[in-house]
Amino acid sequence: MSRWVVVGDGQWGRALARRLKATGNDVTLVGEAGSGTRKPKGIPLTRDLGAALSAVERILVAVPISGLEDLLRSAAPHLRGDHRLVTTCRGLTTHSHMRGIEAVRALTPVRQVAVVAGAADAAALRKKAPVALVVGSPFETWAQEIRDGLRSESLRVYTNPDLVGVELSNILAAVMGVALGAARHLTVGPAAEAMALTRALAEMDRVVRELGGRAGTAYGLAGLGVLSELLFAGDGIPLRAGIDLAKGDIEAAAAHRELRQAARTLAARAATQRLRAPLLEMVEGMFAGRVTAQTALGELMTRAARPEGD
Amino acid sequence: MSAPIFHFNRHREDIEREVTHRAVHSFSSLAGQDPARSFQYVLNDAAYHEIHRLERSRGKEAERLADWQRLARRIGRMSEPELRDEVERRARYYSADVAGNFDRRVYRFASGVLPIGLGAIFNTTDLAHGVASVRNLAKRIRVEGNLDLVRTLAEKGTLVIVPTHSSNLDSIVLGWSLVHAQLPPCTYGAGKNLFTNPLVGYFMRNLGAYRVDRRLRHILYKDVLKCYSQVLVERGYHSLFFPGGTRSRSGGIEQHLKLGLLGSALSAFSERLIRGDARPIYVVPVTINYPLVLEAETLIEDYLKESGRARYIIDDDEFSRVGRVVQYALRVMGLETSMVIRYGAPFDVFGNLVGADGKSHGPDGTPIDPRRYLFRDGEPVSDSVRDAEYTRQTGAAVADAFLRETVLLPTQFVGWLLLQRERRTAPELDLFALLRTTSGDRHDYAEVCDDGERLRRALIRLEDQGALRLDPFLRTAPMDRVIDDAVRTFGMYHLRSALERRGDSLVVADPKMLYFYGNRLDPWRDPLGEALA
Repeated sequence: MSRWVVVGDGQWGRALARRLKATGNDVTLVGEAGSGTRKPKGIPLTRDLGAALSAVERILVAVPISGLEDLLRSAAPHLRGDHRLVTTCRGLTTHSHMRGIEAVRALTPVRQVAVVAGAADAAALRKKAPVALVVGSPFETWAQEIRDGLRSESLRVYTNPDLVGVELSNILAAVMGVALGAARHLTVGPAAEAMALTRALAEMDRVVRELGGRAGTAYGLAGLGVLSELLFAGDGIPLRAGIDLAKGDIEAAAAHRELRQAARTLAARAATQRLRAPLLEMVEGMFAGRVTAQTALGELMTRAARPEGD
Repeated sequence: MSAPIFHFNRHREDIEREVTHRAVHSFSSLAGQDPARSFQYVLNDAAYHEIHRLERSRGKEAERLADWQRLARRIGRMSEPELRDEVERRARYYSADVAGNFDRRVYRFASGVLPIGLGAIFNTTDLAHGVASVRNLAKRIRVEGNLDLVRTLAEKGTLVIVPTHSSNLDSIVLGWSLVHAQLPPCTYGAGKNLFTNPLVGYFMRNLGAYRVDRRLRHILYKDVLKCYSQVLVERGYHSLFFPGGTRSRSGGIEQHLKLGLLGSALSAFSERLIRGDARPIYVVPVTINYPLVLEAETLIEDYLKESGRARYIIDDDEFSRVGRVVQYALRVMGLETSMVIRYGAPFDVFGNLVGADGKSHGPDGTPIDPRRYLFRDGEPVSDSVRDAEYTRQTGAAVADAFLRETVLLPTQFVGWLLLQRERRTAPELDLFALLRTTSGDRHDYAEVCDDGERLRRALIRLEDQGALRLDPFLRTAPMDRVIDDAVRTFGMYHLRSALERRGDSLVVADPKMLYFYGNRLDPWRDPLGEALA
């Protein structure tokens, strides 16, 4: 039996805490005891982050990315070299626009890090629907510990040493979801959406490779998995943001601050590396109000011809 | 000052024995998991590589060929104990070949009477040419950074100094800086080819340098070498590694580091922990910043000619010609700008900054215990995958420190500026075309000064953000003086000056040299390019 702290008592944090408990671990939940979901049975809830951290080595962080930097700052004085940390955060941090794990490295002494991503959510875990997640971490033993702590008969957990790729794919999937939402609004028919999906994937793979991840990671659960779930569900924040933008409803789209920031930061990073990323640029341009979805799509279709794999 | 290296010779045999023992043990203990570590494989690998190499060599070396050929024929028939004995015999031979020497008298001579190595060179030229006293040298080399902290840490633990690598003079200049900053001497691995320079070789041999024969590519030799460097750190010998592996061919700041030697610092730390030895190990990044690089012409030729397949070992460059070294030394003494050796903020083997108390600190300043990184469930645990990743992260911290601690000098500034102006006039040209065709191009002096001001403002902004450092002269002098200084410096040593002043114009004479020196600014090309656009 291992001892874990799960930080963040939202639905996802509670669902994962239950999973850890079910595989025989001793789990403490840190949070504000918010309402909504049932309090998980047999899992003590505390507000004392410092005390909780000092008693364990294994930490799962399931807070929204917007709260990550503040959390890491308050956790830092209590963190040690033997702490191992995994986050479920998706997106870029509010203040310094870093990936979640970049923020962990910049703000804390923790080195053994991992990220969990994929299409599964709390509702799927509750219903015991068959779903899968991926743990991205170059620390093999830590990745295996997380896998063994979370998996069940209805939850398959894969490991992938390409942490950067998993984290980037997860963020890119959300941004590409915006492009697909816009495409859905503007076009009719599955053939157009299939085109948008394949080009989005090719671009994700290219961006992941150039920004430090490995080829192929974008085609896994964190990238294609998340993106196809958005399409199949026909709903979800990124898709809705894309539809709003395509309608020209900038005000509604502006509510998705994190997506906008992610698009802006990633487009800028791609530009710095002189990377071809037309969909990222399109999403960024639509959020900034520089281009309409209609003109952006027109530009995409009339770009110079290229071989598919290029 | 006391340092373990002063007693090296007393422990030399013991160290060689331990290295041999460890290398042999590492093969026998890992053979079960990895067939490539079996005695038979290791011997076959060594024989294959050595026969291949010696068949192409001449003279004394070639005499060893028959021995390896005999061994190669026997390996298949040898019993396990015979194989083991053979591995041990050859590991012992290599440990003795690698092991350095330390002669206190040479050290006292080199550090007391003259700065190490370079001092000797200067002194011979003193006698020959009657130039100013060797003390001038001190004015031409500036040693800076938090030296008090590094001195304190040298007393509390073991230093692993990791400098940038631009020239074969690096180890000598760095050795001199250690003496100058009252830091203890370090042991370091130097390419065997460097020992061919008779004067420098003499000093290296007697000042703790160990010999690295980069022509030997087999597992047995590489393992002995890695064990040797690790055992030295473990035993508390302050050490010096060049993590770039080889001199920067492009003139740029190394960002792709070789992790093997950094990994041995972590292994040494871990081994100490297991033995209950609590002394810490400190990694000290250092940048060596030259206004002129001794081997610039050979290095950049090699970089461009082979682009991507650069020769790993160059043994026919300026360094091997004593006359050229002397000429370089004389010229450097005449320069107005100094070469700068900057000691960066030290960290532990996991990349955490270290304070004056010798303790590691997290990013928020909270003290942390580095030993805990090796713990799992309250106990130290060995985990090679984890340690490889730790080493990669520490390597990234060293690469970042190289950028932050780089001190930019006028030649590099002007090199980048002029080449950027060339690029702007002919954006369609690729690098090779640019370097081939721009010789003789004229630039209006006043325009260059204006561009220089803009470039400098952008650099100052970066310096304010802590991204890099500027030499004080470059930061504050009137722009025409900065440019004149660079032009004069270029003209002092290189066979062809990179840039010449003709009336109101600057004329590009050797674009390759502009490129070589300008590459130092390359990591910031985007913000700098925007500033000039």
